Amino acid sequence: MLALIYFIILAVIALGAAVCVFLSRHPLYGALSLVTSMVALAGIYGLIGSPFLGVVQIMVYAGAIMMLVTFVIMVLNGARDSKTPMFDKVSFFVIPAVLVLAGLVGFALVGAPLAFDETALRGSVALTSRTLFDVAQTGPGYFMLFEVLGLLLLSAMVAAVLLAKKRLGSVQSENTEEGH
Amino acid sequence: MTNLPLWLIPLFPLVATILLGTIAVVSSGGKKGAAEGIVGALAVLFPAMSFAVVAILAYGMPDAGIRETLCNWIDIPLFKADIGFMFDGLSRIMLLFVTGIGTLITMYSIGYMHGDRGFARFFAYINLFLFSMIVLVLSDNLLLTFLGWEGVGLCSYLLIGFWNKDVNNCKAANKAFIVNRVGDIGFLLGMLCLVTVGGSGILNYDALTSFIQMIMTAGHVEIVLPVLSLTGLLFFIGCTGKSAQIPLLTWLPDAMAGPTPVSALIHAATMVTSGVYLLARLGSMFAILPVVLDIITVIGMLTAFWAAMAGLFQNDIKKVLAYSTISQLGYMFMAAGVCAFDASIFHVFTHAFFKAALFLGAGAVIHALAGEQDMRKMGGLVKKTPVTACVMIFAFFAIIGFPGFAGFWSKDLILERLFMSGPMGPAFYVIGLFTAVITAVYMGRLIILTFFGEYRGSKESEEHIHEAPACMLLPMVILAFGAIFAGYLWADSIGITFFRDSLAPVVGSAQAYAATMHSAAHVNPMIFAGLGTLAALLGMFIAYKVYGNARVPAAKGSSAPEGRKATWTFFFDYVHKYCGIIPVQVLAWICDVVVDKILQATQWTLGAIATILGDGATVIQVRKVRLQVAFSVAGVAALVLVVLLTGGLI
Amino acid sequence: MELQPIYIQILALAIFALGLMTAISRRNLFFVLMGVELALNAVNLSFIGFSKTLPADMSVTGQIVPLFSIAVAAAEACVGFAMVILLFRKKESVDSDNYSNMKG
Repeated sequence: MLALIYFIILAVIALGAAVCVFLSRHPLYGALSLVTSMVALAGIYGLIGSPFLGVVQIMVYAGAIMMLVTFVIMVLNGARDSKTPMFDKVSFFVIPAVLVLAGLVGFALVGAPLAFDETALRGSVALTSRTLFDVAQTGPGYFMLFEVLGLLLLSAMVAAVLLAKKRLGSVQSENTEEGH
Repeated sequence: MTNLPLWLIPLFPLVATILLGTIAVVSSGGKKGAAEGIVGALAVLFPAMSFAVVAILAYGMPDAGIRETLCNWIDIPLFKADIGFMFDGLSRIMLLFVTGIGTLITMYSIGYMHGDRGFARFFAYINLFLFSMIVLVLSDNLLLTFLGWEGVGLCSYLLIGFWNKDVNNCKAANKAFIVNRVGDIGFLLGMLCLVTVGGSGILNYDALTSFIQMIMTAGHVEIVLPVLSLTGLLFFIGCTGKSAQIPLLTWLPDAMAGPTPVSALIHAATMVTSGVYLLARLGSMFAILPVVLDIITVIGMLTAFWAAMAGLFQNDIKKVLAYSTISQLGYMFMAAGVCAFDASIFHVFTHAFFKAALFLGAGAVIHALAGEQDMRKMGGLVKKTPVTACVMIFAFFAIIGFPGFAGFWSKDLILERLFMSGPMGPAFYVIGLFTAVITAVYMGRLIILTFFGEYRGSKESEEHIHEAPACMLLPMVILAFGAIFAGYLWADSIGITFFRDSLAPVVGSAQAYAATMHSAAHVNPMIFAGLGTLAALLGMFIAYKVYGNARVPAAKGSSAPEGRKATWTFFFDYVHKYCGIIPVQVLAWICDVVVDKILQATQWTLGAIATILGDGATVIQVRKVRLQVAFSVAGVAALVLVVLLTGGLI
Repeated sequence: MELQPIYIQILALAIFALGLMTAISRRNLFFVLMGVELALNAVNLSFIGFSKTLPADMSVTGQIVPLFSIAVAAAEACVGFAMVILLFRKKESVDSDNYSNMKG
């Protein structure tokens, strides 16, 4: 009972923040609404029984990713095009399409019998780390994937740096150097 | 000496073809051709070697013949054919005169084609022809015979159109090839019908003979009779094409556009007799098909009569001989139609000699008159070219059946057998005899117009008339000897039956079977001999009376007959035109105009549909990326709907 | 009335739909990326919700996969914003409709 009440509160916050993301004009407002939604979702993770994941969500998503997003918005002056109309002809097609899709999937979901299993494990730190670093491979092997994930993050970082780098000898670099 | 391999016989002309062909191609760039001496020597040497091999093999041949299989050619469930050779009595006779007369005519051609730019090419073609004819005669199965059949057709085309700068020669060559081709369809379909009834090994002649015997002894003749009758008819259609019988005979007179040695070799002595050869080879099958045999006899008779009448109206010396060939072939088919295959082959044999002699003599006359072929412009040549005249007069006696010469024995044998062949026999005999009279009339006309009387040509050409050179005269003389003495190989009245005995192992059983079908009225051969002689003398007398007093119409314009004579002569050309050519042209017009338009409309419609669909599909390609992604989402929604409704994709 | 798994799924579906709508129908590039992040979050929620309905040995999956999903989302956001910077340099605008060169 109590879980339900907590869930409803957090769900309303998450959903409301998502709607704010959808309807906000300035991207910075949208970013802040997104942070709110993510924190609410982290709460729901903790409520259901994955506390580790909830904390990871706050640390990584709300902390690192949204910080990056906010940073880029502020650097690039993302509000430049906020005078343009938000919803145009395309939206009139998109919104019904997505709503129909969601309705169909929801209809399929509701028809399925779902029940919480009592023996489901609680996602504590100990359990998660034991499963992840399972070198002896007594369960499904996530260890390799974990290492590859590290590699993925490294390559993403390198790619981002390379993509956003100013070309040596290009006009922009000369301009900025002359500015100093 | 009978262990000479059989494949040597076709090998020599093939080697000669390749050698001479190479020489012809190599020397085709220069102004003058290759050296005539070497080419001529090569060209004569190889057929002569082939003839020597045949003679050696023929001397010691066992009764059952020699068989030799080189390798397997086709082996599929439908039919089986090997590359194999069969040297028995029938093929021995055919090979002897094919290679022998081939050698003689090649020798003659060295003189006749002297100075022609295509000298080497000519002899390459002649040797190719000899190769094909040898394969046709020597093969032991129908498929290899068909190979030779097609080969001789091809060489006929090449040689008729030899002087290919004149388009009329090319048209004549086309006509020969195409009409032959129509007959070949009959041959092919006949082979197919035979295979359906006899199984896959039936194309071999020995296998065919044993199959027929097996049917006869088991009494199953009525069961296979319809299919075998159809087979026989189809093969006969092939024979009418190759041997110029009604209705496929229009090509032979036009084929005279080729050089005279070609007419002598191909269209008198050898190629046109391959139809008769085929009938004799398949004699065991034809013996049990009475309906087909009757058809063969009737067609042979009609052809003989019609061609004899047409020969009477011609003015060109070679055309007279062409119609004469058709007429004599009609006699051979009549004999085959009453199952007298050995008499038919005997007439083939003697006909080869005297017809080749006649053609070579005509060639010598044309050579002497520097190309003149219209008989209305000839005359009085007996003094100027005595040897030629002698040869032609002997051959003339042979063809009309004058006693003592070759044609007397063979033609009277045929007429005898015709008379003895059942209820219609006497009717056939009477028509055959009447045709013999007409033969004597038109041949007499030819001899009289050409050699006797006053020369009707121009004065300056008269000074140039000369006798032919020795290399042309020698073969003619040899053939004239043949025309006189070849008939004695089977002189029934005297009692020599060498020819018949040599053919007996091949056709004997078929003829015996046929003889049981008709009750043969035994007749006195002397009466027939007398009647035949009377017919010949009557014809000679009529010819002398009508043409001997130089009542020759003035030669104006072309040598083609005019008026009603033209209608008779070109009758089958009209038949072909209205029955064959015009329907095909109409069909072609329909295809060109109607079917083409329909196809174009269909194409246009399909193209238009594709264009419309494509233009419609570009509607959903938009400039905004968002919209494209939105379309994807809508597509996913549709998929989900489908999955929900059908209860799953699997 | 207890907390049912279906409530979690419905919430996840709603957030997913909102994220999708944001990503597709907004013209500002930043909102596109933020919508994608929202949708990924919704998927994580769905995973965790389903893993609670599974028995013990399989429910651990519900902890691991969302972890990987978060990591991948981080990498993708990183590269995505680098591309936004590049695009911004080219056209000085973050309006996605200005980047339509396809011929219609």
